[in-house]
Amino acid sequence: MRSFEHVNALNIQTTVALLSEPSTEAIAGGTDLLGELKARLRSPQRLVNLKTLSKLREIRYSPRVGLRLGALVTLAEIERHPVVQERFPILAQAASSAATPQLRHMGTIGGNLCQKPRCWYYRNKLFHCWLKGGDICFAEDGENKYHAILGADRCHAVHPSDLAPALIALDATVCVVGPEVEGEISLEELYTKPTERHRRMTILGPGELITEIRVPPPKKNARGVYLKAMERGSWSFALVSVAAQMSLEGERITDARIALGGVAAIPWRARESERLLVGQEFSEELAERAAEAAVAGAQPLRDNGYKVPLAKSLVKRALEISIRERSDM
Amino acid sequence: MPKVIKTRTEFEGHVFEEYVVVEGEGLSAWDAQTPLRYIGRQIPRTDGPERVTGKAVYTFDVQLPGMLYGKILRSPHPHARIKSINTQRAERLPGVRAVLSFKNAPKLSFRQGQTFLFDEIVRYVGDEVACVIADEEEIAEDALELIEVEYERLPFVLDPEEALRPEAPNVQPSGNLLNGKPDIYERGDLDRGFSQADLIVERTFRTQCALHNCLETHGSVALWEGDALTVWDSTQHIFGVRAGLAQLLGLPLHKVRVIKRYMGGGFGSKNGLGKYTVIAALGAKATGRPVKIMLDRHEENLAAGNRPSTIQHLKVGARRDGTLTALELKAIVNAGAFCTWPPSVGGPARQLYLCPNVKTEQYTVFTNTGPLSAFRAPGYVEGTFALESLMDELAHELKIDPLELRLKNYAEIDQTTGRPYSTKGLREAYERGAKLFGWKALTSNPSPVAHLRERGGAVGERATKLRGVGMASQIWSGNGMPPAYAIVKINPDGTATVVTGTQDIGTGTKTVLAQIAAEELGFPIEKISVEIGDTQLGLYAPLSAGSMTVASVGPAVRLAAHEARQQLLDVAAQVLEVPRESLAICDGLLSSPALKEAVAIKDVLEKLENFMIIGRGAREPNPEDVAVNTFGAQFAEVTVDTETGEVKVERIVAVHDSGRVINPLTLSSQIEGGIIQGLGYALFEQRVVDRNTGVVVNDNLENYKLPTALDIPEIVFEMVDRPDHRANNLGAKGVGEPPIIPTAAAIANAVANALGIRIYELPLTREKILKALKRV
Amino acid sequence: MATKAVRPKKRKIAVRGPGKTPIKLIVNGETHELLVEPRRTLLDALRKDLGLTGTKRACDEGTCGACTVLLDGKPIYACMALALECEGRSIETVEGLARNGKLHPIQAAFIEEDALQCGFCTPGQIMSVKALLDENPNPTLEDVKRAVSGNLCRCGAYPKIFKAALRAAELLRSGS
Repeated sequence: MRSFEHVNALNIQTTVALLSEPSTEAIAGGTDLLGELKARLRSPQRLVNLKTLSKLREIRYSPRVGLRLGALVTLAEIERHPVVQERFPILAQAASSAATPQLRHMGTIGGNLCQKPRCWYYRNKLFHCWLKGGDICFAEDGENKYHAILGADRCHAVHPSDLAPALIALDATVCVVGPEVEGEISLEELYTKPTERHRRMTILGPGELITEIRVPPPKKNARGVYLKAMERGSWSFALVSVAAQMSLEGERITDARIALGGVAAIPWRARESERLLVGQEFSEELAERAAEAAVAGAQPLRDNGYKVPLAKSLVKRALEISIRERSDM
Repeated sequence: MPKVIKTRTEFEGHVFEEYVVVEGEGLSAWDAQTPLRYIGRQIPRTDGPERVTGKAVYTFDVQLPGMLYGKILRSPHPHARIKSINTQRAERLPGVRAVLSFKNAPKLSFRQGQTFLFDEIVRYVGDEVACVIADEEEIAEDALELIEVEYERLPFVLDPEEALRPEAPNVQPSGNLLNGKPDIYERGDLDRGFSQADLIVERTFRTQCALHNCLETHGSVALWEGDALTVWDSTQHIFGVRAGLAQLLGLPLHKVRVIKRYMGGGFGSKNGLGKYTVIAALGAKATGRPVKIMLDRHEENLAAGNRPSTIQHLKVGARRDGTLTALELKAIVNAGAFCTWPPSVGGPARQLYLCPNVKTEQYTVFTNTGPLSAFRAPGYVEGTFALESLMDELAHELKIDPLELRLKNYAEIDQTTGRPYSTKGLREAYERGAKLFGWKALTSNPSPVAHLRERGGAVGERATKLRGVGMASQIWSGNGMPPAYAIVKINPDGTATVVTGTQDIGTGTKTVLAQIAAEELGFPIEKISVEIGDTQLGLYAPLSAGSMTVASVGPAVRLAAHEARQQLLDVAAQVLEVPRESLAICDGLLSSPALKEAVAIKDVLEKLENFMIIGRGAREPNPEDVAVNTFGAQFAEVTVDTETGEVKVERIVAVHDSGRVINPLTLSSQIEGGIIQGLGYALFEQRVVDRNTGVVVNDNLENYKLPTALDIPEIVFEMVDRPDHRANNLGAKGVGEPPIIPTAAAIANAVANALGIRIYELPLTREKILKALKRV
Repeated sequence: MATKAVRPKKRKIAVRGPGKTPIKLIVNGETHELLVEPRRTLLDALRKDLGLTGTKRACDEGTCGACTVLLDGKPIYACMALALECEGRSIETVEGLARNGKLHPIQAAFIEEDALQCGFCTPGQIMSVKALLDENPNPTLEDVKRAVSGNLCRCGAYPKIFKAALRAAELLRSGS
């Protein structure tokens, strides 16, 4: 790490002001940022420590408004929270599948949602890749077993978060503050594929921060599951992950939200699959078609073609588990 | 009087004839009648308390007053000539004490002349270019960014098959093939052997490049006191480092002291002298301050060695009844940029089975990638994967049980020398392993286990998992060699100190040596201390590699303890005025029918003021008329998820024969550890080199996947545990490497059994499984 | 998104660094005053500034677990925390476990079960087990595996680490 100044945040207003200054970055859990600083990918002159904003560490729940997670709530707190476990099991599953106990005690939900990609070219100082302002994506013609199969354009990195797909399946929103904005957007809207003018994976601009994540109360008869395929038994970013949340009336699917991780630069909402499911009675054949639809248009690279059948299998399995668990009730 | 004799030694698949000097009297290994108090007992590690309290000082933990830190600038290019290097800006940074590069450092030849300490040609991404010595690590890192290097990029080659083509760029001036020719072994008549075969099976296998990732990275701390150099080094061979440093720096041996107290893993990667050690010594000289250089995790994965990738074309001929008639291996090994110690990939093909006609041909090829080093059973892990996979295919084709096929070709004598084995417990390992595992029941018709469908518990009614079983066998050396020396000192208070120059790399060496000394002396083990890891105070012992420490150093310790015991008896008989033959020592007490009660050794020796007994021992030569080897068999049970490609190893059963077991507790740790490393190698470990730039893109523990706590199968094992009386005076052989050898092969055979399809390349990733199932 | 902005407010802020700044760390119950740059990690502060080298540095980027310490009772990677952000919080390292020369039951169990080989990951493993047992005195094998799933052991001592953790739980429950 190059040297930097350090400031403790006092309140949201001053923090936004501080973060609007050049070469300033926010640090919360630090597990993503320090990795970048140690690799000398970036060298801000000043870090603003958000951990002193104690208001952002609260978890609140009411059956009427749902779940409110301050941006500084750690993944461990989410994973262990009895209400999350009971009412939002997908979220608890996603949190507990992320990283390790230690990282989950450090990492915050805000940081998790805003983390930078794990692409091994992006993370290596020897590659001035497109996402870092360079001319080419080295993965496109390089080593790409972890890379995107869906929707990639100039950059083939994938969004690494486990919680983002789960929260999108739960229809979560996030509160954003900044020098020019304050408001609530859907989590899905937070994410953007990097473009020529905006080589980032979220829409957040300088000085803009997530302060809270809001999850609406679960729908009636809603069930869901988070499934994650890793290269080993734990401590891996998802090769592919699937969060599925379904609601049923009798045998009929009344609502379905499916989001995939590890397949695209953003958490990938499988809207076509959802459309196929809603209003139908569940069958293996329907699950098969929904799974197929989830990866429609996939454009695998040389080494990541396996992600297509893997994503299909996980979608199908997630649907089956959601349905079966419901029928067990 | 010392005797000079010629002896045959085997180290990691290479056989040598060498002169050794031996002394002392012969002892034979304890027989079954001898009651043993320490040998064969579960003795907890004697240095356990230091290791669990954080008090153990590893090289990484050495901090000296005024110590500076060195950080190495490494090549970003796979092949380039350094046109110019400007270190002025770095030198001007406050806190920087020196910058070393080829411009100001002595031109020291490294790796048998294949490179220099700082070479003007860099041959892989990660090759050493310069080193900054500074007050703090952070400052040294800041300074690295200020060094300006102009490179002339040269054409490079990453793939060993491409490197063998005539038009390929030369990695080494002498060409890309090590020694300019393949390493060939031949016995019998291969053509005749194949002509006698009813069936010939021929396949190509590929194994990946694996990285050691010792948790303690490579590194050193160097300190000059006048013209004497002391180096703390994370090494498996303190005397080797001493010899290398002395030679390169032009120092007499008595002015170089190498110390290794605790070490965080080596696995073969720390067998030799590293550039960082020499650079630390030069940096300390240049600054007049102690210098510490520890590689970071990325450097460790670029420059500290690897198990090289291999391509193995293997062909076997057999009669209808399974009898092997011919075996041919052509192996290509990706050495990386430098190589002085090629692994012996053909070892298993030459040794494991009875076969009269065998040819192995190994091409060790230079490429512009990080250089190989030994890695726990180098060559044999790779070679066993191919051979034991092919044996299973042969069994399948011949419709013979895989275990039956192996028994059919059981070698009663060493196939390479024609000598009988001193002992060979492989048949017993097969039989006991098969029984423990339930092999017969799991492989018998009419319900072959491969087709037993798992009830898809998690996924409703669909069955998505296949179960499979497989096995594989292992041969390896493990008897070590001379020279190895030890002394045992008996102190006036009845305690004893074992002094030798070996190193405990985490295997439990210290504990085992204490057991041997305690047994031979008749002292309680608490009264024994073992001092190792210091060239200035210790006596020569070989590198801690090749599964040879117990079998090399242990016998010397026993002889030293024996000699000390004789002296003690001589002295005690005179002090106590009893006949010498009447005296016995047990639990630190002297007893004799001529004495009313047992006398503490302390009470005898304290009468003699500060008299000190010193016993000397030297490892005896290996026997000339027999082959001494270690053997084992492992059985694996796996499930494969046909939808997600996930392979889960459910169970490993292992039975090994390494002669007598000295400490079942520390031995079991080595067995489990070897199996777990083998599992990582089978399923996920793989260095990934970017094909376009030669950069290792997973030079970290995030993307180079080691097994975690949640990858560990049930492991059941037994030892044959029969003393090998011909091997050495302990009857014990090494066990460090044997357990990793068959694991990947057994797992691959189980996966093939589950799928009914074989995958010829490691690791067995989801991608390969899904491809094999034609889902991709 | 709504367009109402948070009005940035300038207020006097306490800036520390980039040079060395005084901090107080409470390690194993003792308060230490030291001077560190803001970029100093907790790991380097423990090892270099306080000489507590039991906490190991093996990857320095949160990928191995050898530097696991407890921060306010929770296991974290000391290499991924800034020392000055740990001010005033309780830091426990492996050096704090043995009291009056007596090994902590977890340490005793690690020796008894031989739950280590090279020993370099051991302090981190022990701290992860400590965090588990402080919270759950009666863990299952699965709980243990999950608790140490953020601690790599290259020697493969895992089966014995599991046994040692369960044995330590037993020792602690029986009060020995």
